[in-house]
Amino acid sequence: MKSQPSNAKRKILLIEDNPGDARLLGEALSDAAGHSFDLEHVKDLGAALDRLAQGGIDVVLLDLSLPDSAGLETFAKTHAAAPEVPMIVLSGQDDEALAIQTVHEGAQDYLVKGQVDGRLLVRSIRYAIERKHSEEALAKERDLLHTLLENLPDRIYFKDEQSRFIRISRAVSEQFKLSHHWQAMGKTDFDFFTAEHARAALQDEQQVMQTGQPIIGKVEKETLPDGAITWALTSKLPLKDKQGKTVGNFGISRDITALKKFEDELAGERNLLRQANTEQAQSKAELEAVLADLQKSHEELKAAQFQLIQAEKMQSVGRLAAGVAHEVKNPLAILSMGLDYMMKNLVSPDANISLILGDMHEALKRADLIIHGLLDFSVPRALDLRAEDLTALVEQSLGLVRHEMSASPIKLVRELAEKMPPAWLDKNKIKQVLVNVLTNAIHSMPQGGTLTVRTYPRRLQGGEIDRDAGSRLANRFRTGETVAVTEVLDTGTGISEEKLAKIYDPFFTTKPTGKGTGLGLTVTKKIVELHGGSIDVRNRPEGGVIVTILFKV
Amino acid sequence: MEKKRILIIDDEASFTRMVKLNLEKTGAFEVREENKATSALASAREFKPDLILLDVIMPSLDGGDVAGQIRNDRHLKGTPIVFLTATVSQREAGEAGLNSGGDLFLAKPVSLETLIHCLNENIRKTSSPDESVK
Repeated sequence: MKSQPSNAKRKILLIEDNPGDARLLGEALSDAAGHSFDLEHVKDLGAALDRLAQGGIDVVLLDLSLPDSAGLETFAKTHAAAPEVPMIVLSGQDDEALAIQTVHEGAQDYLVKGQVDGRLLVRSIRYAIERKHSEEALAKERDLLHTLLENLPDRIYFKDEQSRFIRISRAVSEQFKLSHHWQAMGKTDFDFFTAEHARAALQDEQQVMQTGQPIIGKVEKETLPDGAITWALTSKLPLKDKQGKTVGNFGISRDITALKKFEDELAGERNLLRQANTEQAQSKAELEAVLADLQKSHEELKAAQFQLIQAEKMQSVGRLAAGVAHEVKNPLAILSMGLDYMMKNLVSPDANISLILGDMHEALKRADLIIHGLLDFSVPRALDLRAEDLTALVEQSLGLVRHEMSASPIKLVRELAEKMPPAWLDKNKIKQVLVNVLTNAIHSMPQGGTLTVRTYPRRLQGGEIDRDAGSRLANRFRTGETVAVTEVLDTGTGISEEKLAKIYDPFFTTKPTGKGTGLGLTVTKKIVELHGGSIDVRNRPEGGVIVTILFKV
Repeated sequence: MEKKRILIIDDEASFTRMVKLNLEKTGAFEVREENKATSALASAREFKPDLILLDVIMPSLDGGDVAGQIRNDRHLKGTPIVFLTATVSQREAGEAGLNSGGDLFLAKPVSLETLIHCLNENIRKTSSPDESVK
């Protein structure tokens, strides 16, 4: 609130029954150079109160001893009539104590009659006006603060350096169940909260006071001694004096218990959701695992089914072969005997006759060979198993295909282990297998190439058995078992993937008519499997085919 | 030299004829053909062969049954039997052979050379003094 400018004309009400005193004061005022006062004079309290009721008075000069009132009562009545108007009490030398008392009651100043000169009077009047204005301004500020403290639902407190309450708002009083705010004076949080909470709050407040940094918007859990729990959103700030020295702290906190409860419920629901999500993810993972298992089983079933179909095929072909063999071998036997008779007894001048008979005999032998091939896999054979050296068998088989090899420029690379662990084999059957595989390799290189033959012992790794379901390694071998390996590699034309699946099928051949019976690999596989071994045929990345045959040792 | 008497029992008449022609042409054998398994025992009793060539698979009665009949005949039981089989299945031929006392078997088609060798081997074996006593 701004005070009136000092050069404005002040209206002074002089309440004085003594004409001499009134005149002296009037003179004193008129002596005050540079100051303009408008003096009104009344002689008793009744007139004074009437005048004050009209308003427009800037300051009152009051003599306490009036015809209609005396002493403190005079001041009290005047002050009550115009509490906003500053008053200066005029006292005699004998009642100075009374004057001092009026100052306590609200008078701005007192002057002792007979000691008043113009300057003193003017200064007193000016100060009285200024002070009154300041007081009013302060009172307004205080009222605002009071309004705040009394009405705001947020809890406001002021504490000293030891965190003792200086002032609390009504909301705090209510929280502490106090009827008056002053009942908290000098007390601390330890008097109202649990020790745990009080300690935490004290720690925060000390931090605020030491660092000067406020704590803004901290969520606090408050536990009252009766066990009631409330949540508060609290800000704490350092309380400073005019010099900026920290003398305490103050803060405001809002009860967010309801909000917190709502938030907790939300968090709970969020957790439930998250849990549900997690469970969903878990069950999804479990489902995927089950699905993977099912798929694996399905693949295994498919593989088993394929094997069964293959086996079934073999058996039907076997039965067919046995029937065909019987039906074909009888006429072959007749032809054979007939040819024998003619070759021994037919004497003809035509040289072609014996040539023709020879060709017929050869043809008959070939037909018989095919029938033999059919029978080879049609029924399980007893094997004549002996401990054999695979390298030796490979050498012997190579000898048997030397003739085939000479037909095209084939380079033979031998990578044969000198000392192979003995394997239990029917050597004639295995030679049949090797001759078959070698012949296939040679036939795949009509323009020439390199034929590589390897034998070596090897220890089976876990992974390769699992991976290699196609050749049914898993059914025949165990991890860590040593096997005798035979590899035949060619640099020929290779086998298309489409055909690779059919190579073991009876009567399937990639060779031109008359060159292959379509039974070679069928029989080969049959023989290898009868030995408990495995055969794998696959294309080499660099071209050609690699055949790998494994036998237990 | 006395000709060896061979009884060939096979339902294939062409085959038995070819065998007969071939063997008799050598001058060393006298061959009788029997194309009915059911008549085999009677033919054998009548012909008194030195060796019987017996087809394994025939309609009505198979080679094993016929061999059984012959082995059970007190006059014929010492007569060597060579089985002829068109199903070179070891199991089938082997079982038939074992059930009937265990003799040699030949797979069709058989070359004349192999056949004659086989006949000579088996006739000689059974004609030896030791075998005769049995």
